[in-house]
Amino acid sequence: MENQQYDQSFPVDKGYLIRKKIYNNLAFLFAIGAFLIGAFPVFHIIYKAIAIGYKYLNWNFISTLPTGFPIGAEGGILNAIIGDVYLVVIASVLAIPLGIGTGLYLSLFGKKRTNYFLRLLNELMIGIPSIVWGIVGFYIFSTNAGFGFHLGFSALAGGLTLGFIMTPIVVLLTEQAVNQIPASYIEGALALGATKFQATKSVILKAALGGIFIGILLGVMNIIGQTAPLLFTNYYNTGLPTGVTGPGGAVGDMAMLIFIYIHEPSRILHYKAEAASVVLLLFIFLLDLGLRLINYLVKKFIL
Amino acid sequence: MPNENNDLKPIKSAESNIDNIIVNVKNLNFYYGKYHLLKSINLYFKKNSVCTLLGPSGCGKSTFLRTINRMNDYTEGAKLTGEVLIDGKNIYDKSVDVVELRRNIGMVFQNPNPFPKSIFENVAFGLKIHGIKNKDFIVERVEKCLKYAGLYDEVKDKLNKSALSLSGGQQQRLCIARAIATNPSILLMDEPTAYLDPVSTSIILDLINSFKKYYTIIVVSHNVQQSGRISDYSGFFLDGELIEFDESGNFFTRPKDKRTENFITSRY
Repeated sequence: MENQQYDQSFPVDKGYLIRKKIYNNLAFLFAIGAFLIGAFPVFHIIYKAIAIGYKYLNWNFISTLPTGFPIGAEGGILNAIIGDVYLVVIASVLAIPLGIGTGLYLSLFGKKRTNYFLRLLNELMIGIPSIVWGIVGFYIFSTNAGFGFHLGFSALAGGLTLGFIMTPIVVLLTEQAVNQIPASYIEGALALGATKFQATKSVILKAALGGIFIGILLGVMNIIGQTAPLLFTNYYNTGLPTGVTGPGGAVGDMAMLIFIYIHEPSRILHYKAEAASVVLLLFIFLLDLGLRLINYLVKKFIL
Repeated sequence: MPNENNDLKPIKSAESNIDNIIVNVKNLNFYYGKYHLLKSINLYFKKNSVCTLLGPSGCGKSTFLRTINRMNDYTEGAKLTGEVLIDGKNIYDKSVDVVELRRNIGMVFQNPNPFPKSIFENVAFGLKIHGIKNKDFIVERVEKCLKYAGLYDEVKDKLNKSALSLSGGQQQRLCIARAIATNPSILLMDEPTAYLDPVSTSIILDLINSFKKYYTIIVVSHNVQQSGRISDYSGFFLDGELIEFDESGNFFTRPKDKRTENFITSRY
């Protein structure tokens, strides 16, 4: 050992060490700059909406129907809030069972080849532009001629169309949630003699519940801001719905309200649209907080 | 449904004869896609004995274990030929009910895998999925099984707490309690002590020794020392072949095959 020589030298390039640090700082600056440029519109919208809309933001704005001339000049946006509840509930009734069912099938039961095509189809569905969904919804649910359900312009037609937009999101997130569950849970249940259905029901669904909830909330967040699909299926109602189908079945909607108010040549309606944007933003923000809360609870108590 | 007589009673141990064989594997071949994972395995396990199957990682011993309770059924691309007779009946027969089969064969995995439920619910799970609704019976049985697994004293005050709050060794014993709750006659253990500390390992090994009276236990392991401590019979797997299977006394002291000798003397 004694007579063996270890080469302990190491070539140091001082210039490179300095350049390395500079590159590192540049990368950091670039990331911050990119983020700020990307985030600017968000802050701008929040600032604008609050600066212009704050005068109209009060309890009255949320709790009364629009009145006055042009309609909406007085009163609030209750029609849109209630309408959104209708739409979200109808969409969820369609999308939650369909989405969870498909997601579970994909991750637990499906064969490789079927899964491949189902996933492809699902990704395609996520990518379909919302205006295309509007036309599809119109032909399937609203039109009174030819094939379809002949629901007219109604919350039912609009909600179901939104449901089809929400479904692939729930499918994707359900599949991801189930895939995150350790395979040993499923194996443990099967080894005890559980059928696949029993294992799914009593072990997997419970463990994946948090992830599935996140999928549902993301779906709701997505559809609540949609305007295009509603153009041909529900449009807008300044009052509350009076029927199930046809013109009476239509409901108000936040996104449509903003779209329509901004179109009107009336300063006060523009202000009200800004105020409505603030309400919508707040609502999305609350949904996001809920999402984070669920995520936290899942990490703490389930996984 | 378990029998009326749910207490653990030692099965009458007869002299070693043909009747005493509970699992008989005949010419078993297992393919996964193109791979020939198990190559014509022939062996049998006797009632109320502990058998360990040794072998290096990837030699097919876990796959073999999983053929005994048909856990490979869901593996896509898996193909199996040959017979696995349990009490004289081929379990790969079309008429065999997999659910009942798995009730009769408990399994403990390498990773402690309690469900994310309470300690009580974990043990009660096996009873509930087999349609038992009688609450008193379930409570009594859960308590019994936790006692058999030597866990009851440690958890009796927190039966409703999450099973995931237990330590690794406790979780593994909980899994054993869960596996014996359905009153099986065979217990399969897939490297049950691989991830445990020495103290927990020792507890589990003692448990296996004491369970011999009630169950036939088949343990997969790659730890020669531990196998020597618990087993009556030992087998050695290598590259999907069963190289040697014998009584542990002979197996560990006078192995017939050179490869077995190399393995048990750690020359692999």
